[in-house]
Parts: sequence; structure tokens; C-alpha cells
Amino acid sequence: MNSVLTHIQPSSTHSRLEEQDEFEHTDSAAWGSMAGFGNLSRTGGIAGMSVPRVANPTAFLDMHTDNMSSNPEAKIKIAHGTTTLAFKFQGGVIVAVDSRATAGSYVASGTVKKVIEINKFLLGTMAGGAADCQYWETYLGMQCRLHELRNKERISVAAASKILSNIVYQYKGMGLSMGTMVCGWDKTGPQIFYVDDDGQRLKGNLFSVGSGSTFAYGVLDQGYRWDLTDEEAQELGRRSIIAAGHRDAYSGNTCNLYHVKENGWDFIGNYDVNELWYEYEAKKKADRETATAATAPSPMAVEP
Amino acid sequence: MELNGGSVVAMIGKECVAIASDLRLGNQAVGVASNFDKVFPVNDKLYYGLPGLATDVYTLKEHLRFRVNMYRMKEEREITPKTFTHLVSSTLYEKRFGPFFIEPVVAGLPTPTELEPHPKPFISTMDTIGCITTPKDFAVAGTAADKLYGVAEGLWEPDLEPEDLFETISQTLLNAVDRDALSGWGAVVHIITQDKVITRTLRARMD
Amino acid sequence: MALYHNPPMAYAQEPTTAPIEHRFNPYSDNGGSILAIAGSDFSVIAGDTRQSEGYNIQTRYARKVWQLTDKAVLATNGFAADGNNFVKKVKQRLEWYEHAHHKPMGLKSIARMIQTMLYGKRFFPYYVYNILGGIEEDGTGAVYSFDPVGSYEREACRAAGAAQSLIQPFLDNQIYFKNQQPEPGSQPFIPGNLPLGTVLSLVVDSFTSATERHIEVGDGMEIYVVMKKGRSTDDLLGDKGLASGMTIEELPSLGESISEGEGGERTFLVRQALKRD
Repeated sequence: MNSVLTHIQPSSTHSRLEEQDEFEHTDSAAWGSMAGFGNLSRTGGIAGMSVPRVANPTAFLDMHTDNMSSNPEAKIKIAHGTTTLAFKFQGGVIVAVDSRATAGSYVASGTVKKVIEINKFLLGTMAGGAADCQYWETYLGMQCRLHELRNKERISVAAASKILSNIVYQYKGMGLSMGTMVCGWDKTGPQIFYVDDDGQRLKGNLFSVGSGSTFAYGVLDQGYRWDLTDEEAQELGRRSIIAAGHRDAYSGNTCNLYHVKENGWDFIGNYDVNELWYEYEAKKKADRETATAATAPSPMAVEP
Repeated sequence: MELNGGSVVAMIGKECVAIASDLRLGNQAVGVASNFDKVFPVNDKLYYGLPGLATDVYTLKEHLRFRVNMYRMKEEREITPKTFTHLVSSTLYEKRFGPFFIEPVVAGLPTPTELEPHPKPFISTMDTIGCITTPKDFAVAGTAADKLYGVAEGLWEPDLEPEDLFETISQTLLNAVDRDALSGWGAVVHIITQDKVITRTLRARMD
Repeated sequence: MALYHNPPMAYAQEPTTAPIEHRFNPYSDNGGSILAIAGSDFSVIAGDTRQSEGYNIQTRYARKVWQLTDKAVLATNGFAADGNNFVKKVKQRLEWYEHAHHKPMGLKSIARMIQTMLYGKRFFPYYVYNILGGIEEDGTGAVYSFDPVGSYEREACRAAGAAQSLIQPFLDNQIYFKNQQPEPGSQPFIPGNLPLGTVLSLVVDSFTSATERHIEVGDGMEIYVVMKKGRSTDDLLGDKGLASGMTIEELPSLGESISEGEGGERTFLVRQALKRD
């Protein structure tokens, strides 16, 4: 059924419950190559996106995947657990993430790339369903490129994040799981937009998303100023992820750090959370010793 | 078990036994303490580990301390690893219908006697209601039990000398807890030999 | 058994008169485990051959590892029906690609295609964990691992399936040298550059260990070894030759254009018996 016919005929609106022939929706582009996106429809999602023929597909998905955490015993485990953060400052945007993915208490991976490089100027972060973030942000990259070709101009962060939020809004209630920050630099300067699975889209200066976000916010908030230097800002991002990786069981392994500047993003580095933690502890201990050596013992001092 | 997290492993070597545990105490996802030892001595030839619900760790530990002291006073001798295992087992079974959420691991060297001049190193483990197993190689328990099984099965070999046993049990514990979100945050290892107990804290991953 | 005559609590369930709810459950778990390790110029992809459902063994020989092209091998694990069907569809798409482009699809393209195919069923997922191994365009060994709905990543080694939690920490230790330090004065460890002989024995050890401690793993294993173009095959047999109970065969090239001896990528299939209890 990979015929030209299916293209020239207006696509019929199918009910989800209707009997579906898989190939009916297969674009003939699947035949050749559309950069591996051969099964995408012209309008957005996947043409033949299959939905189980049950009365309530969402409840079905909920029953078999642990995606919405209402059924943690489900067979199909989708990786989660994360700490991600991004903040704007005088020198651009800092994006820092951890690299742990867990399935239940099992650490499924310690090398996940939670920053998705959408293009030279745009970064997306990954929290929630790994596949949802990876897939739709890659797809967003395609749409941003098409925008450039059509308009001879780079897409704004606002517009890019809105493409993403519009997509996930279409699937609202179907069980997508993503909490992402679209970060970049456009005509208006550095920008961060928070986009999540229920279609929420927020502009802001500072966000942290994931199970370890509370710990990251703790460090981030006490160290944050607009006029941070580049080095100070990078260190703040890194320190926040280390703190979250330490306290949160579902975050850790390594920290990936990016800095978005006027000419696009820079990858600053990959840091082992554990090694940095021991470094920070050694520094804290050294600071304590110099402090106690400098000050006279307090009259209230208790034996250690 | 998943509330506080934590894991214990014990291994048999050549005229020695080893027992090791992580040091994490958590409240679900949040790490609370990194000095929560789950392995306790009965005497200098016998140690046991109690991974599971933290409140039961303390209760059971004190309960067993009482019963071992009573045994000592009545019998006027030290308890053997085998007898201690049965003591733990019956203590657990007393709470058959409202169990302690603990899976104990026991590791000890029986003292040589006239009847048995060369006693074998002893390890044992139990489920939450006291069903005993006495492996000839290694025993594992806690949230990282499956990971510990995998690594131990790959690394362990018979008749390891104390220092080699230390390396084997340390690598087993460290690599297993690194794949478990609820265990880790430090580790401690005890090697029990006829003439001394070597206790070492390991530099473990703290994330 | 008198102890049990009067249960202390209401263990005995009243017979129910309420209608029994039947829910659509199209999934089953067929156990088993798969594993792949990438070397500098080869890739090893392995799986056991037991297929089970609950405590029953359905068959002692069911394939979980599949040769896709001369430089790509796919291992599937989870629900066997979904796995087999998924492999069938991947092969179909690869054939279409070859007809359209007159060349086989490259490894990283196969990886991306698998992502879109899995994500296409995001709302009715394939209950399959995939590991793709093979040789990259630049001649390096590669392993790609996927979750059931298509998130993927290139790695140096990955275990999946029933015994993943048993095998993976062992591999972290032996392949990535996690928690190990080289002796003072000796060479530093370089992860992902182990010789083939070492990798093969680690694969065999991983599966024999998993067989000991996991009821769903056993019977036999199939190890596919994909080698870079022109690479020596001497180290495949190791110093001591084949271990007992091990067989080895070279799989014929799937490409039409490359004639015998001209030297493309070569794939070998090593079989090894595992305990059947």
C-alpha cells in the first residue's frame, strides 16, 4: 500500500478505535530515506502512530508502563530520575544536568546525555521519559531547520519552545512524560523556556527539573546573582548538580555542563559527580581547619 | 526494605570469612546518613549484618545482644556461628505474622575444639521470618542482592587468602551498590581470621 | 498442621459473586538475557537461547540475536512475539532501503531507524529491549542500546533482560574497570579496548554466572562476533583453542556485491552450551 494514491487523497480522519491497517498510514517516504524519519507524517507526529484497540488507550498505557508512576510494578520500565537545571545570567545561559537513568532502584545507565543538542544555538534538557524527550527534541531540530530554510533566519527560542509545547499539548493526557528546558540565544538575547508534558510553557531566569531539583535549587538560589562571572556561573551550575547527585538516590554519576553564548553553545565538560564531591569535601575540611586555627576557641565549645 | 535501603554481603575464604555492608541510610530517594553501619560483632570471631528497615535493625540488634548475653551467662562460653544463626532464626520466627523487615547475614569462624580441631568457616543467611540457608561460597542480602549475586558469582573463587578475600568482597560490594540507587554512600569490610579481625572503610561513590 | 486450622486473620477468601474483570493484556515476559560489548575493531553481541513463561520453559532454543547486515547484529529481549515481529519489520525496512539506495544501511542509521520504529508504537509499545551491535562507518566497534519506546545511546557495553542486574555490575568492573586502580607504575586502564579473547571469556563468564543465579537464563548461548574489514581472525580461537562444548562458524556475507575473499566485514557465530537446570 505504499502507493502515491494515499498522498493525493485527503487523509481521512480515523477514530482511534477503528480497525487500522498499518500500511495505510505509511508514507512512501518510508521506502526511501527521510533521514530515518521515514515514517513521519507531513503534519507532525508519526503517521501510523499505533494506538491499542481498547476502550481507554491511556488507561492501557498506564497499566503496562511505569511512566505515570501510578503503576510502579509495570513490566515496561521507562527510564526516569533526574536533576537538570538552567539559568540565565549576565554572560548567557548555563545548562547543567546529571547522567543517571533508573528503572525502579536499578541504575539502568550512568552515561545518559540529558542535554539534547537541537542545533548550534539551541539546547533542550531531558527529564521524565527519555524517549519522549529524545524523540520530540530531535524532531524539534528538524522543524527549526525548516524554519531557517523558509524564513532565511534562525528561529527564536520562544518560537522553538512553542513548537514543542504545541506538540505535547496535542498528546495531552495520553501519557507523554517530559519536563524540559529549551535554552538558547536569539535576537532578544539569552532565553530559557520550561516546557512540560501537560503543555505548560514558562519563560524564566532560573529553572531546575527532576527528582533532585529541590537539592539543586537549594545551592542555586543561595549562589545566584545576575552579574556572576562566566567561571562563577559554571561553578554554580556544577556545584548544584553535585549536591543533587549526592543527596538524591535517583540522580548522580556524572555532570554535563554547557554554556550558551551569543555565538551558540559551548560544551564545557563532563565531570564525575563522585570525584567532585570528594574534592568539595576536602576543600570544606581545609577551610574549617584554617577557620578554627584563626579564631580563638569559643567559651561555649563542647568536646568534639 | 526499599524505605531505608542498604545491602550486606558475606564470603568464605581459606580459614577466614569476610562480611561487608554499605553505610547508607535513606528515606526513600533522600540520603539521610552515610554512617549507618549494618554489621555488628557478637564476639571477635563472629559478626552479623542486618540489612532492611532501619528501625528493626536497632530493635533486632539490641534484642540479639540481650539473648547472646543470656546465653553467655548460662553456658559460660561464647556462642558458635551455627548456634547464633539458629538464635537469630527463632527470634525472627517469633514474629512470624508481623515480621521484622530484615534479612540477616551471619559470618563467623568457629573456635577449634577437641572434637573439631579444624572447623570450617561459616556463613549463613535468612529470610525475614528466619528460614536459614548456609552457602559454601557467599551470602547476599538487601536492596542490591541481585547485583551482588551477579558480581560475586563472577569474582569469587574457593580458598582465598584473607587479603585476596578482602579485594574480592570489596570489589563485589562496590560494583554492586553502584548499580543500586538505594545502597552505597560508603562501605565497610570486616575480615575475620583466627588471630585478628581486619576492619576497613572503603572510599565508595557518594552519589 | 493444626496450627493453620484457624488462621489468625481473614486469610480465607469468601467466594466472590462479583463479575470477574477481564482486561486486555497483550504482553508476556519470556525471560532470558542479552549482552553486547564493543571493542576497538570488533563487536560482540550475545544472548541465551532459553524461552520461558513464568516457571515453564517453552523452548530451550529460541533465537534472540539476529544478523541484520554484514556489519549489524540486533539482540532483542522481553516479549518474544513482539521481538520476533520487530526484527521482521526492521529487516523489511532494511531491504527497502537497499532497493532504494543500492547499498546496505549504515549502523548509526539503523540505530536511528529503530528509534523511530519503536517510538511509532509509543502508545502501544513493543515490550522489547533492543541492543544493536556492529561496526560503524569508521571501522570502530559500536553498541547501541534502546528502551522499549526508543530512547537510545551509543555505549561500550550493555546487558539487558532478566539478568541485567546480575551481569551489568560485573561488566562495569571488568570492562570499564570501575572501582579499580592500576598498580603504581603500571599502565593506566583504557576502557573499551580489550582484546577479543578477553571479551569472549567475559561474555561466557557473565552468562554462566547468570545461569547459576537466575532461573530464566540457561540452556545455551549464541555469541555473534562482527569484525572490521581486513581484521585478523587469529585471536577468535584464543591461545587454548575453543573451549569444550563450543562451536564456531562463519556466517556468509549478506551483501551481493562483495565477492568471497575481497574482504568485507566478517561475522562469526559462536555457540556455547549452558546448564539446563
